[in-house]
Amino acid sequence: MRFKIPGILIVFTVLFAPGSAWAHHSPSAIFDMNKKFTLTGTLTQVDWINPHIVVAMEAKKDDGSVETWKFESNPPSWFRRVGVARDNFAKAIGQTVTVEGVRAKNGVLYGYLLKITFPDGNSLELVFPSEPKAP
Amino acid sequence: MTHRFVFVAAAALMLSGLAAADKKTGVATSKVARAADGHPDLSGTWAYAIDLPPVALKQQVNGSVAIKTIDQSARQPAKKPVPGALPYTPAPSYKPEFQAKVKNLSDNESKLDEVFYCGKPGVPRIGTPRRIIQLPGEMVFLYEDISGDPYRIIPTDGRAHRAGANPSYYGDSVGHWEGNTLVVDVTNFVEGSWFGEEGYFHTDAMRVTERLWRDGENLVWQATVDDPKVLTAPWTMSPRVVKPSDDPLEESPRCVEDDGNRLLNSDHHQQR
Repeated sequence: MRFKIPGILIVFTVLFAPGSAWAHHSPSAIFDMNKKFTLTGTLTQVDWINPHIVVAMEAKKDDGSVETWKFESNPPSWFRRVGVARDNFAKAIGQTVTVEGVRAKNGVLYGYLLKITFPDGNSLELVFPSEPKAP
Repeated sequence: MTHRFVFVAAAALMLSGLAAADKKTGVATSKVARAADGHPDLSGTWAYAIDLPPVALKQQVNGSVAIKTIDQSARQPAKKPVPGALPYTPAPSYKPEFQAKVKNLSDNESKLDEVFYCGKPGVPRIGTPRRIIQLPGEMVFLYEDISGDPYRIIPTDGRAHRAGANPSYYGDSVGHWEGNTLVVDVTNFVEGSWFGEEGYFHTDAMRVTERLWRDGENLVWQATVDDPKVLTAPWTMSPRVVKPSDDPLEESPRCVEDDGNRLLNSDHHQQR
């Protein structure tokens, strides 16, 4: 099963809420923020570019065919200031990673990366300031 | 006799207070670091001041979890009164005949704003420099920006603006000192830039005055925009207080805006 829908991602709206100090576009203009999905596949590319980093991965569908997905995420200058460099991602190129994100509304294989888990179990995750605590 | 002593003591206190303050700005001067030429020392590396997502990183490494946050204070209006700051207002005042245009530009920012598509923000939108190099008769401002890493060389030796220079996003700058404040006069802008994300367009008549001074260990920056062709009065922005930084400058990655074709509506929020 390629997708899991763990529930409504209320907190994602915080990232780009009106009044937020950042967000060069509102993700509601691109992404379906109500559903988060998880995708496991092979990391193939890491573009350390402005205004968003972009990672690409190849994931097998249930019928065995391969899809190429791209995920954008926060800008390089944000990652730099939380101590993450391109190499933190790029060292896993060619390996299996798991990405949690939200998908583009227009149906293309494109999403916003919220969490990535590397083969060694280490992970990077965006955390929102008012994330509700689990009950 | 007692009265005379009190008067003399009070006068002495007042005089010492005056001597320790900049007459023009009221900024305390006694603790201001100074360059060799006697002017306040603005040189150094200053905090990154471009808007970033207000999000923390949860990083898990070998079973241990760390939460890392970012400091965006340099990009935000000062939260308390800043000594030496000019009175300011939250938004510029456009002449009535231009107000609809400003609203339309703002509503369609994600389509019409060059900055959305990796364009140069220009002055004053880029905000505070990441590094200042202070030389006798000259200041050098270095920036890190999503659009690239511009620099500005600002003469402070009394020369006039360059004649015949091409208009540009960062304009033509000359600076001078008013007490402890560096005042930078910027003219000769291209017309394509906005001076704020909310559709703040301008004409070739725009003139920007930046003021920079020290408040203790911090740098303060405040800008005033004037464009008599479209504004009813000069607009002074809120001051920004920037902390010193030990984060070295690094070349900004190239900018490739690829989201424009995915946008399904015009929603947008501040970037810079």
